[in-house]
Amino acid sequence: MSIMSYNGGSIVAMVGKDCVAIASDLRLGNQALTIATNFEKVFPVTDRLYVGLPGLATDVVTLRERFRFRVNMYTIKEEREIEPETFAHLVSSTLYERRFGPYFVEPVIAGLEKGTNKPFIATTDLIGCLTLPKDFAVAGTASDKLFGVAEGLWEPDLEPEDLFETISQTLMNAVDRDAFSGWGAIVHLITPDQVITRTLKARMD
Amino acid sequence: MSPTVGPVSRDFNPYSDNGGTILAIAGEDFAVVAGDTRQSEGYNIQTRYAPKVFRLTDKAVLAVNGFAADGNMFVKKVKQRLEWYRHAHGKDMQLRAIARMIQTMLYAKRFFPYYVYNILGGIEEDGSGAVYSFDPVGSYEREACRAAGAAQSLVQPFLDNQIYFKNQTPAIDAPFPRHLPLSHVLSIVTDSFTSATERHIEVGDGLEIYIILAKGKTLSGLGLDGVKGLSEVTSTVDDSDGSASEGESLAEGERIFVLRRELKKD
Amino acid sequence: MSSAAGGGGAYSFSLTTFSPSGKLVQIEHALAAVAQGTTSLGIKATNGIVIATEKKSSSILIDDSMIEKVAVICPNIGIVYSGMGPDFRVLVTKARKTAQAYWKLYGEYPPTRVLTQDIATVMQEATQSGGVRPFGVSLLVAGWDKVRGPSLYQVDPSGSFWAWKASAIGKNMINAKTFLEKRYNDDISLEDAIHTALLTLKEGFEGQMTEKTIEIGVVTVPSPEDLVAPPGERVKPVFRKLSEEEVRDYLAL
Repeated sequence: MSIMSYNGGSIVAMVGKDCVAIASDLRLGNQALTIATNFEKVFPVTDRLYVGLPGLATDVVTLRERFRFRVNMYTIKEEREIEPETFAHLVSSTLYERRFGPYFVEPVIAGLEKGTNKPFIATTDLIGCLTLPKDFAVAGTASDKLFGVAEGLWEPDLEPEDLFETISQTLMNAVDRDAFSGWGAIVHLITPDQVITRTLKARMD
Repeated sequence: MSPTVGPVSRDFNPYSDNGGTILAIAGEDFAVVAGDTRQSEGYNIQTRYAPKVFRLTDKAVLAVNGFAADGNMFVKKVKQRLEWYRHAHGKDMQLRAIARMIQTMLYAKRFFPYYVYNILGGIEEDGSGAVYSFDPVGSYEREACRAAGAAQSLVQPFLDNQIYFKNQTPAIDAPFPRHLPLSHVLSIVTDSFTSATERHIEVGDGLEIYIILAKGKTLSGLGLDGVKGLSEVTSTVDDSDGSASEGESLAEGERIFVLRRELKKD
Repeated sequence: MSSAAGGGGAYSFSLTTFSPSGKLVQIEHALAAVAQGTTSLGIKATNGIVIATEKKSSSILIDDSMIEKVAVICPNIGIVYSGMGPDFRVLVTKARKTAQAYWKLYGEYPPTRVLTQDIATVMQEATQSGGVRPFGVSLLVAGWDKVRGPSLYQVDPSGSFWAWKASAIGKNMINAKTFLEKRYNDDISLEDAIHTALLTLKEGFEGQMTEKTIEIGVVTVPSPEDLVAPPGERVKPVFRKLSEEEVRDYLAL
């Protein structure tokens, strides 16, 4: 049994026209047993940048705090908010620090660049190897399902509401075929002037 | 003193996984069965054209996926049993009977199974489109759609969404259709395979889509006349020039067509 | 207590003991070492920054092509010093390491302010640690970054640092600063700033000013296109040292 799927959970992020979205399921499991259905895995970094941490739940919580610490130190020292691309590198180096005893987490990053509002998404593997896709990024126990649905549903230049619909459908239909993911879902839609967060009415079985 | 020669165990694995993906969707009066044509072992592509979808009768098409050697032998035996049936009864076996026979044949090898996932598509006695899916030891059910093989996990949730309208809410005055039109089904099939080709290394090269039409149905009646790469393979028709010419067919019963498409080869 | 050498009294030896007047005498001495060093200066222009210094060797036998007083720290930052050469060399090494560590962490080079603060921290620690002496240098740090654009900082042996529009350090700093105050205006161009830098150095320059006795580094504010690397190439550096040919051409004008 892989440590990566001990607690279950999945994340997907997508690029739209001047917007990005990141979504996750809400399940926390102990192998096949569901423990909680309100376990959020996506966290705000700044008011236009989010990070999703699917994987081993204890590492999810530890890394969330580690990133919070490092981002706060950065913000104070540099007197500015961290940019998505810089944060992606911070995530990468933080994970690679533990190259031979890794955190069992595969982060997904989604945000808008300051000034240009250019959408940014990224994923890394558990030791911090960065990938910067143009379209969408997936991770977690339902990643193969997410790849399949996202590849079929996603199209370029989606407006915010269409992007919301696309990412929601992608997530729900993927996690419904994954025993380790599901039991509720949450979507964060990041636009230049606001972040819209919605919890979805999903299957609870 | 000579060393003691104890028992030596050697491993031999009679099975292998040859990749690829198959898919079938049932319509109201048609069925579509599709599969890619890549055959691989590990990271090697053995061939870019190894069909996984086979016409059994004029109303039944079988797709086999998994261990290619077992798949081919299984199809051969099914075809043989169907010929015996024709000799004994002077007619083609009904679809639901083929399905039950396949279960029996698979379960007969319960303890040394054919390492194959089967999907059977065709037209039932009542003229409705049908899809039957099997596991390697004969467990089966009739469904409206099914994906199997290497990219099953990529394709099936997409089908749930697009065929069964899972997680979608109908408008109050427009409930979801129970069956989709053929042209729509075909675009879902091609989209499924291009998506799977994009993201799965064992899927690609070519796509073969078998279309089985119920009695009295025509391609033009289903809005599909003049489609390139379409040829009729109904047993009563010799379509050697490869062009499905409407109206010339002598077929009075169900009809079968093949639609071939290229998939990415990388 | 002995009234030992140096004339600073008992406090002149202990690095970390305040004198009754509130001064750390060793830092005062370090500043004195800087004041003996050759003059360096920096001017911030609208589209860049120039830092310049004179380099004079004590003997004609020294191969002065080996002397480097303007140092590149990372592609967007360069520094120049007045004071003790060996101390500068140590700081350059530390600053370069800091810049590379930052790059490794964030995938980009540090903003000028952050790097300056790091260097200043190193210098401050030398005023409070056991077994060391303060750095005998003042630095001028010139850099460009997306956050603050072009910026010019001065760092002193105490570890304090400020941002300047134009500043001078070393032997002739008082006169040079007075000169810069007269010549500086807020919309000076980089070309004008380079000439002003040379004129300022010329005041109080002993001997001949040539491409061999002058070192110049410039920050050129990049256009958005400059920041996009051509395929297979790197982005061209924002900070660079002028070649001897370029210095000669500026001197000839």
